[in-house]
Order: sequence, then structure tokens, then C-alpha cells
Amino acid sequence: MYFQRNFRWQEIPLHLYPVLYFFFVFTADEEDTVIDSDGRQERAKDKERKKERDRKRRRNVARRASSARKEGKELEDRPEREERRGRKKRDKEGKGKGKGGEDERQEEVKNDTVAKIQKNFSNENTRKLEQKEMEVVGEEDGDTEGKRKNGRSKKDEKKEDKEKHESSEEEEDEEEKEGEEKPDVLSPEELEKLKEEVDERKKLISTLRGKPWPMRKKLLTLRESHEFVEKYEGALGKGKSRKLTVICYRDFENFKTACVPWEMKIKEIESHFGSSVASYFIFLRWMYGINMILFGLTFGLVMVPEALMGRPYGSMPRKTVPRADEANAMDFAVLWDFGGYAQYSVLFYGYYNSQRAIGWLKFRMPLSYFLVGVGTVAYSYMVVIRTMARNANEDGGGDNNSFNFSWKMFTSWDYLIGNPETADNKFASITTSFKEAILEEQESRKDDNIHLTRFLRVLANFLVLCCLAGSGYLIYFVVRRSQKFALEGLESHSWWERNEVNMVMSLLGMFCPMLFDVISALENYHPRIALQWQLGRIFALFLGNLYTFIIALMDEINLKREEEEVLKLNMTIWEASLYNGTLGANSTAPPITVHPADIPRGPCWETMVGQEFVRLIVSDTMTTYITLLIGDFLRAVLVRFLNYCWCWDLEAGFPSYSEFDVSGNVLGLIFNQGMIWMGAFYAPCLPALNVLRLHVSMYLQCWAVMCCNVPQERVFKASGSNNFYMAMLLVILFLSTLPAIYTIVTIPPSFDCGPFSGKSRMFDVIQETLESDFPAWFGKVFSYASNPGLVLPFLLLMVLAIYYLQSTSKSYKQANLELKKKLQTQNEENKKKTKMAAQKAAMDLEEAQNARSESPRQQRNNNASQQSYRGEKNTVAFI
Amino acid sequence: GENGTLSREDFQRIPELAINPLGDRIINAFFPEGEDQVNFRGFMRTLAHFRPIEDNEKNKDPTASEPLNSRSNKLLFAFKLYDLDRDNKISRDELLQVLRMMVGVNISDEQLGSIADRTIQEADQNGDNSISFNEFIKVGNLYFVYLET
Repeated sequence: MYFQRNFRWQEIPLHLYPVLYFFFVFTADEEDTVIDSDGRQERAKDKERKKERDRKRRRNVARRASSARKEGKELEDRPEREERRGRKKRDKEGKGKGKGGEDERQEEVKNDTVAKIQKNFSNENTRKLEQKEMEVVGEEDGDTEGKRKNGRSKKDEKKEDKEKHESSEEEEDEEEKEGEEKPDVLSPEELEKLKEEVDERKKLISTLRGKPWPMRKKLLTLRESHEFVEKYEGALGKGKSRKLTVICYRDFENFKTACVPWEMKIKEIESHFGSSVASYFIFLRWMYGINMILFGLTFGLVMVPEALMGRPYGSMPRKTVPRADEANAMDFAVLWDFGGYAQYSVLFYGYYNSQRAIGWLKFRMPLSYFLVGVGTVAYSYMVVIRTMARNANEDGGGDNNSFNFSWKMFTSWDYLIGNPETADNKFASITTSFKEAILEEQESRKDDNIHLTRFLRVLANFLVLCCLAGSGYLIYFVVRRSQKFALEGLESHSWWERNEVNMVMSLLGMFCPMLFDVISALENYHPRIALQWQLGRIFALFLGNLYTFIIALMDEINLKREEEEVLKLNMTIWEASLYNGTLGANSTAPPITVHPADIPRGPCWETMVGQEFVRLIVSDTMTTYITLLIGDFLRAVLVRFLNYCWCWDLEAGFPSYSEFDVSGNVLGLIFNQGMIWMGAFYAPCLPALNVLRLHVSMYLQCWAVMCCNVPQERVFKASGSNNFYMAMLLVILFLSTLPAIYTIVTIPPSFDCGPFSGKSRMFDVIQETLESDFPAWFGKVFSYASNPGLVLPFLLLMVLAIYYLQSTSKSYKQANLELKKKLQTQNEENKKKTKMAAQKAAMDLEEAQNARSESPRQQRNNNASQQSYRGEKNTVAFI
Repeated sequence: GENGTLSREDFQRIPELAINPLGDRIINAFFPEGEDQVNFRGFMRTLAHFRPIEDNEKNKDPTASEPLNSRSNKLLFAFKLYDLDRDNKISRDELLQVLRMMVGVNISDEQLGSIADRTIQEADQNGDNSISFNEFIKVGNLYFVYLET
């Protein structure tokens, strides 16, 4: 509704008032119209035009008014006098506040003299104000009633005077007085009074816009009040620049809404595709935020310090490309595969040195690396859980109002919209919201055969379980086979046998979701719940994907570690031979220097793991983008343009345009994030890559959705804060931290690369820091604290606390539900009661009418009594 | 025109009104019945509905007529926008017309009908299958409450 809110007009310069009044017509709340801001330009122009028109109109009115004044002096006097008489009477009765009188006056006096009278009035009022001011400065105040009478009588006397002249005189008068009695020292009572006065002024300012006064008077009063407030607020020691702060605050709020990234895009998509599609984009944005922070952590605390303060490239073997690879280390193909120079850079684990402190800052690099690795995971846990909790709170409120459709019907249009494009969006969003509401209604009313649906649902779940089990077995089988092949050596097998795992995985990933889709049609769920089931099922399927990946990785790690053992042996032999060789040639020569590129080195399994993850992310990103371009864009282009020369209707018929696949995209996002969490420890560049990917995909997908997808047939309402996505994300987070923690805790780090080289386990860095950087007592306390005797009771305590909190929250929820139920029943009862009352009243009315038609005399009596009753009421009201 | 009054065409030139689905209704609200010109006074009188509500508890004057910008007068104004035939009731047909203006052809007539039925069912209290002004007030006041929370 266009008058739904209170507006903050004080900030707007008053000379725009007439124009702005006009715009009340279209006013919702400015801050609410996020969609609309591109229409502002046009509105501004329009304002200008309107202003001009208004000005003309005013000029016309003024001209007529002046002519009327000349012609009819006598005419003019009469209504005025009448008015005054009326008012006096009311004054005697102790009633008739100024405002009420004015209202009536406005309604009663219909000819052009009103302009003059109002001018009179305005002067009277300003006089009132001036009087008040004077009182504040000085003496005892009379009661307001008397003051007003005073003002009025004064006005009566001076009614023949020229108003303008008079008012200016008065103003001068006032200024003089203020100058004389300017409060240098104020007694407490005076201060109190002043405070009250200032408050009153403030109140006046805030209610001024609603007063039915002529513009000029408003302007005058406003200016005066502002001056007054500013003058004395300073004396009272309050903030002076209130106006400025208000403006700043407002601007800041606007700025804040403008700062929410992609809000416009998401709103636009929501208006065309409904909240379910928008929920994906909101989730994407949220994910982007998380990744920004992860990126900040790894970039600021790990990558930059090492690049700036660590030993430069080429200073040691782990920071140099080996001689054998040097020739093509800069080739694009190698770099694209994250080999060559990319492998020996800050992007990967192996580049980091195990030196305890680097640079002039004595930055503890290994410690920082470890803590950042742990910190990213801990932060992610915290954020996901906190968001879930907050969303749960929001869900608790509930919005089951009983006037859903009425509100949609009467209040959905935003009257500020002035831009045709925005209007289109709004039309679309209203339509979508209606569709969503219809769907909710249909779903809530559906009551077919319960037994049949139950049976179908069980059947569907059974089928899905069969599918999952089958694909699980298939994956297991294929992985085992490939392990066997790998042991035998890959060269002796065909292409299919080498790529079997990948092919099977992608085929499963392609066809199983379709199968699930078909099966879910059996279940007849509400689409929102159906989406959740679908997500859960595909999630289970993708877990297989994850499993194979981790198995393959573990195998490779083991291989590399065997290689490392062999190499360690060889290393000693090589060194010995080097030493012997030089010794044989010249025994007194200084220690020989071998170029770091020539020193043999271990395979460094950590870098390998990091590379695997980075490659996976890059290829995954590429496939997503390419499928987007081909599957959506190309299809849309073909459908659109081949439609002119095709034998059937492509747009309505078979290929049609694609719908946006919420479940697939959400899962892609979630699994991608899982990969990031798993791999970020071994490849610090992963969060940066992911930020890039999310950024691009935000724009690309927004564009693709708007340009080549069609809205789903059944648009349904999804809550913006989707806890189901979050739950899946939490599961994936847990699953992805497991292998990462496992490798960190159980596998010893490589001996010649990475920040933990030379230690037996990666977490030894903590102990080292405790021993060398903290005082001895701290280490002691720590060792006591990590004693199982202390840790176990602590854990127990935590479990107890969790249990207690959970049970209390459950009981609260119960209480909430009960209250809600009570409210609802009460509402219904009330409705029934009023209905009954209305029916009864209708019946009474009918009876009365019957009776009346029987005896018209009675009716007359009735009327008379009614009139007398009314008269009574009036007198009562007057008293 | 230059005669000190506004005609319907003048209003229709305002883009906000031109694209507003209820624009015609709003414009109609400016014109007294049977006239197609509005002078400045009438114009301001209609606009007065849009002034924000003032909390004038201090001068609750029973003798003064209710100001045009009181909540109930605002609601009455909005009610008149929907009450096409001015019989002080919003009937199903009137709702359907408004709905058609708002969503166009994107929703089938049958569904529009059910929306209108549902709306009436929600708001209707005396079972006459139309929304009277009192019922409308109830809906509107609840919406104000909803906005304030």
C-alpha cells in the first residue's frame, strides 16, 4: 500500500514539498524498492517536469485569488466574521483547539478568500510560537488556553493591518528580545523549561508535514523551529548537527543495501524464476563470502609472507625446477597441468621452507602454515553451524497468516516503480508469487488415497536404494579392478581399462539423477520436499565419487612414499659418491657447490596431492562452464532460430528450452567446496582459485538463467535461508576434513619439502613452538591439561551440556507450538463469533424492516427518537 | 490544459501511473463522479489521503471531523480503488478484474477464479461472498500490524 509507512520527509528540502506531495501517490518505502533503483533517473526528470507544471498551476491560482480579493471585499468579510463567531463560541466552551478549527474552516470556506484567511491564520500561529519562545526565555508561563485566546484577540484587533508587514515587525521584535535576554546563565528550572520547549519544537518539526497549513507557513515555522532547536540544543549540550547525522545515517543505510553484492541480479532472477532458483544464487553468494575469508587467511598469512620474506626461488632444491624438467617448465601445457614453474611456487605445499622463523619479522612460517590449515577448517565449521542455527531461528517464526491471498492481492504492487522494465519485473514477480501461493494451497489441500501414496513412496525408496546399491557395487568393483591393473602396470591395458573408473563415474553421474527424477514422480511429494529427496539421493550417489577419489589418492600416496624410501637410500649413495669424487680430485678444495636443480629430490607426495586437487577443481570448473554454454546457450539458440524452419514446434515441443537445475547446481557447489576443504592444506592456492571460479560462475549463471532458461512449470516457494543445503554442506565438510586430518596425523611428512620437513609428524610444530617460544611453565600447564585424566571429564561435561541444551530447546519448541495453536484456535473462534453476530444483526435488520413497512407511523417515531438521540450525543460531545 | 484544471490525460502522462496496473483506478479516484476535470482544490483533497498518519493524541477532538489522512480514511480510499461499481462491496468479479490487471495472461482464468474465491473466503466474515469495507479494514489493519513487527 502506498501509505503503508511513515516517511522521513524532514530531510527533504521543503521547497520540493508540492512536488513530493504528488509523489505520495506512488510511495511505498524508498528503501524497499531494491529493484527499482534504475528507475530513479527517470523519476528525477519527471519531478522536474512536474515541478514546472505545479508552478504554473500555483501561479494561476494566485492570480485568481488576487483578482477575487479586489472584486469582493465585502463578500470576503462575511464568511470570515462567521468563522470567527463560531470559533469564539467554541473557545468559551473551553474547546476548539487551533487545529480542529482550522480543519473545519478549510472545509467550510470554499471560495478563494481562503487564501487570505489562511494567511491571517499563519501569522497568528507564528505569533503563538513567538510568544512561546519569549516565555521560555523568561517568565512564568500561563496555560496554553489563555495564550491562544490572547493571540486570537490580538489578531482580531489587527485584522485590517497588512499581514506581511506585521509579521516582519513581529520577527524583528522577537529577535530584539532574544538578543536582550540571551541566556548566559540558566537556573535549573529554566533549563528544564528550555528542554521541554526544545522537545516540543522537535515534536512540531516531526509532525509539521501532516499539518493542514499552507506551504508558506509550514516553511516559516519549520525554519524557525529548526533555528530554535539548534540554538538551544547547543546550550543544553546536545549534539548540534542532527540534520547532518540524519542525512549521513540515511546515506549509510542506502550504501549498505547497495553494498550487498549481486542483490539486484538475484532479485531479478527471483522475480522471474521464483524463490527456489533464487535460493541457489543466495547460497552461491554465501559460499563466495566464505571463500573470500578462507582466501584472505591463506593468502595473507601463508602465501604472501613466504613470497616476500622466505628464501627466493632457486636458492634450494625444493624451490627449483629440477634439471630434467627445466626444458619445458614454462610450456603452457605443463603450466596448465600445474607442473613446471607452477609446481615450484608458493601455490603448493612443497615450496615452503622448514626454517622456523623467516624475515626481519621473525615470522613463524611452519607454525603459521599449520594454524591456518586448522583455522580454515575450524572457521568453516563455525560459520556453517552458526548459519544453521540462525536459519532455524528464522524458521521458528512462521508466517501462517490467515490473509495470505488478500495481502498479495491488495498490497503487492510497488507504487514507486516508474520504469517500464522494472514494472515488467514486478509483474513477473507478482505472477510468480501467486503461482507459488497457488501451489502451496493445492498441496495443502491434496488428500487422495493415503495408502496408495504410502505404498508408492515405499516403492520409490526401495527402487532408489536398489539403484544406489547397484552403483555402489559397480564403483567398488571398478576401483578394485583398476587397482589390480595399476599393480600390473598401465601400459599393457587398453584405453577403456585405463579409464574405466572415470567413465563409469561420469556415466553414473549422468544417468542416475535422471532415474531418480523419474522415480520421484511416483512419490507425489510437494516439490520442495521432492527437491530435498532428490538432493539427498544424488548426494549419496556422489559420495561414491568421493570415495573412489580418496581411494585412488591414498594408493598414490603410498606409492610415492615407497619411492621416497628408495630415494633416501639413493641420496646417501649419491652424496657419498659426490664426496668421494671431489675428495679424490682435490682434498683441500672448499666444499663443492652443486646447483640446486641438480640435487636429487624426493617425490613430495604432499605437492602431488595438492596438484591433484587443483587439477580436479580446474577440470570441474571447465566442464561446468562448457556444459552451461552447450547445454543451455547453444540449445536455446538452436531452439530459437531453427524454429522458423522446422517441422514441429521446437519451443513448445520436444527439445524446448532448459529449466534451471537447482539440485544439480547446488550439489556441484557443495562437492566443489568439499574438494577445497580437503585440498587447501596441501595447495594454499585453492581458495583463491575457488573465489575466482565462484565469481565467474555467478555472472555466467545469472546471465545464462536470464537468457536461456525458462521458469519451472511448478514454481514453488523456497525459504531464502536454506537449511537443507547447509546440512549437506556440513556433512561434506565433515567428510572432507576426515581424510585431511587422517593424512596430517598419521603420515609422516616428506623429508625434503614443505614447512614440516625433518619432523616425524606435522603437528610436532606445535610442540616445538611450545618448547622454544613459550616459558617453561606454559609447556608444563599444557602437558597437564592434555592429560587424559583431565580431557575425559571435560569431554563428559561438554556432552552433558549439549544434552541439557538440546532438551531445553526441545521443550521451548513444544511450548511455542502450543502457543501458536492456541492463537489459531482463538482466531477461528473470533471469526465464528463475528459471523454469528453479523447474521443475527442481519436478521434483526430484516425484522425491523418488516415492522417498519407494517407501520410507517412507528417509523416516523423511530426517526424522531433517533434524531433526539443524535442531538444528545452531539451535546455530550460538545461538553 | 491551461484552464487551471487537470484532465485524465494529464494524469496518464505520469509514467508511474501509466504502468501501474491500478493506474486507471487511481486516476478515477481524483475525479468526482461524472466529471472529467479536477481543479487544484480537488486535486489536493485527494492527495491529502496520502499524508502520513500523525499521532495527534493531544488534540483528539470529537467535534472535529476525522482528517482525511486517518488510517480508516486511507483504507477507505484504497477500498474505493477496488470497488469498481461503487456499491461499497468488493465482489468476486471486481477482484477478478483487478487480478487480471495485475498478472495479465500468465495465469489461467480458472486459477484466477480460485485466487479470487480464496481471497474472499479469507476476508469475508458475514458470508455474503463479497468484501465489505469493514472486512477490508480488518485485513488492512492486520497488514499494518504485520508491517510494524
